[in-house]
Amino acid sequence: MTPIDASATAVTRRRGYSKRRARAGRIFVAPNLAAVAVFMLFPLGFSLYMSFHNWDVFTPAKFVGLANYRSLFSGDPLFSIALRNTVVYTIGTVVPTVLISLAVAGVLNRKIKGIAVFRTIIFLPLAVSSVVMAVVWQFVFNTNNGLLNIMLGWIGIDPIPWLVDPKWAMTSLCIVSVWRSVPFATVILLAAMQGVPDNLYEAARLDGAGELRQFASITVPLIRGSVSFVVVISIIHAFQAFDLVYVLTGRNGGPETSTYVLGIMLFQHAFAFLEFGYASALAWVMFAILLVLTVVQLRLGRRRAAQEERSWA
Amino acid sequence: MTATASDGTQEHHSRTDYERATETITASRRHTTNTSLGCGTPFDRRTLLRGAGALGAASLPLLPTACSPDDDALTFFFAANPEEADARLRVVDAFQRRHPDIKIRTLLSGPDALQHVSVYCAGGKCPDVLMAWEFTYAGLAKRGVLLDLNTMLARDASFAAELKSDSVASLYETFTYDGGQYAFPEQWSGNFLFYNKKLFAEAGVRPPPGRWEEPWSFGEFLDTAEALTKRDRSGRVGQWGYVDTWVPYYSALLFGMNNGVPWSDPRMNPTHLNFDNAAFTEGIQFYADLVNIHKVAPTASEAQSMSTTDLFTSGHAAMALGGHWRFQTLERAKDLDFDIAVLPTGPKGHAAHSNIGTTGLAISSSSRRKQQAWEFVKFATGPIGQAVIAETGLFVPVLRSAIHSAGFAAAHTNVGNLAVLTGGPAHAEGLPVTPAWPKIAALMDRNVSPVLRGVRPATALANGLSREIDGVLRTT
Repeated sequence: MTPIDASATAVTRRRGYSKRRARAGRIFVAPNLAAVAVFMLFPLGFSLYMSFHNWDVFTPAKFVGLANYRSLFSGDPLFSIALRNTVVYTIGTVVPTVLISLAVAGVLNRKIKGIAVFRTIIFLPLAVSSVVMAVVWQFVFNTNNGLLNIMLGWIGIDPIPWLVDPKWAMTSLCIVSVWRSVPFATVILLAAMQGVPDNLYEAARLDGAGELRQFASITVPLIRGSVSFVVVISIIHAFQAFDLVYVLTGRNGGPETSTYVLGIMLFQHAFAFLEFGYASALAWVMFAILLVLTVVQLRLGRRRAAQEERSWA
Repeated sequence: MTATASDGTQEHHSRTDYERATETITASRRHTTNTSLGCGTPFDRRTLLRGAGALGAASLPLLPTACSPDDDALTFFFAANPEEADARLRVVDAFQRRHPDIKIRTLLSGPDALQHVSVYCAGGKCPDVLMAWEFTYAGLAKRGVLLDLNTMLARDASFAAELKSDSVASLYETFTYDGGQYAFPEQWSGNFLFYNKKLFAEAGVRPPPGRWEEPWSFGEFLDTAEALTKRDRSGRVGQWGYVDTWVPYYSALLFGMNNGVPWSDPRMNPTHLNFDNAAFTEGIQFYADLVNIHKVAPTASEAQSMSTTDLFTSGHAAMALGGHWRFQTLERAKDLDFDIAVLPTGPKGHAAHSNIGTTGLAISSSSRRKQQAWEFVKFATGPIGQAVIAETGLFVPVLRSAIHSAGFAAAHTNVGNLAVLTGGPAHAEGLPVTPAWPKIAALMDRNVSPVLRGVRPATALANGLSREIDGVLRTT
């Protein structure tokens, strides 16, 4: 066998092996792909199909065209209430979450003794299920015997009807939601902060910048991408809120309509009124709103980044 | 590289030089993925995966039998609180003693029975026998989920005659929808008052009347509740005159009804609910005032720490509105000596009424065991099963023979005013039956709650809620 023949044989063998590897890879990925197709793509397509139908699960679906979407926008006064509540809930959750997470991540980013313990404590809520969390908070929010009102009583504040008064219910919901969202946002922001080069801080310190100035002028601008990610994810989570509301203030989003958010409206139409077509239409409207919000936000983020690059140049 | 496992040997021989080279490089890592069966025979990852695959494939044929329901068992879906569930199972046992050939598998409902059963049925696993509620069965009947029991009744003339002669017509007709009979009533679950005899005696207040023919007025009820509400020096209430253990926005409507106006007219498939009737809303306002003006009943905040049922069982409330479904719980409460009384009547009411308040048993139209299901429904709603229900004290039975039986009286020896129960079905007014009820209930929750909180007058219901409900009923 000449050296050329030997080399050609080796190349052929290598190709054969890589083909087998690729096939094995496809076989390994196939179950996951099948699961994605069955549990994600099919329901997505099916819900879009159902949004053009009246369907109560028991009787055959009836094609109604855009009627579900039309009645959602024109004939359902609760849609505007649910949308307004969802926007209030989203703002009331996302803004405090980002601000608190920034502060907490900034504190946890310090190199001090025992910081690992504090980091673990801060991340604990991430491991607790929403339902368990909501049940515990129900006790905390109890008007007469709740922990929160007892503590407020120490500083002379009268008991607040956190969950039973429509004026307070949304505030209570936002408090719990922020408490749940902060750990995740903190993890992301802390990871980003740890990627900021130390020499920048050293240079700033040499120039006489204090801690706050360093945080505002170095840390925040350099982790803007992560902040943007946290904002997008938090908005998506807040917009899809359901489990927390269901357990904390009931399946009707009460008291009255104070916590009637889009997730509750969707659940109510699907599983209480058995209007799966209408609920599907609502789900797609929620998706469209989120898509627009996310695209706008990403575009704004990119434009801002480009402007900054130009200004540095 | 040597062969590592018996079934991997052949493949080892066919491996290329390139593979061998790669394996040599990764040999040090490979050993970490090798596994031993514990008997000194190591095998590689590929073998492990193959084995797992073979095991999975072999178990596939077993799946249908492993996951399929107990094929010859009749499934029975019902809701019950823990105390009721025990008694319910005694009724099922009694059936199985008489019909050892029919196995029953019970399915206990979660907090939302309609949602629970809808999911079962939508998934193709509709229970054979279903508990049906007066408010929600029409939605299932309209969608063809429930079997028209007239088809079974037509083949069983003797049972039909027995049922007709022994039934309370208004309860039976509750489950007659659009000409079909979709369930047979099994219990009367209308509301009345429980009262704590000891607290009444201590306060020297005359107990409320124990027969539906002896009405007492809203005014007398309020005086009684006020006399039994105890506050400490700081104004904090230690004992309430009255608590509601049902659903407040439904209970308020019972007071409207006892002020002389039914919830809807007609009862079946109504097109309108009477929220625009002045007497009806006066009754609702009276109910709301108990909390907000007279302060003889706890607000939602005040009932947050302890449920209203617990307030009554622990002696912190003198009267409680509820139905017989609370009976098992109250009977087991320590140091509680209670009796029952009729609901008060408003100035425009003509007589004291409870509500119909009933649950029945239905058969799924898709059931493959209709005959077995029919036997169970016949048992539980017929004379024998009703007598068992009466003896266990599970429900207030619906057949006259069982209501007035010695067994029912024996199961309620601690109840002095048994006439409240035995006379209840005959003095109960029907509530609306419509497939749109879940939507109407959601509307009522939203609109009646501000009235019950005292931030809006009941008269406001005449415009908003009344119109919204009419809209829903029109499109049903």
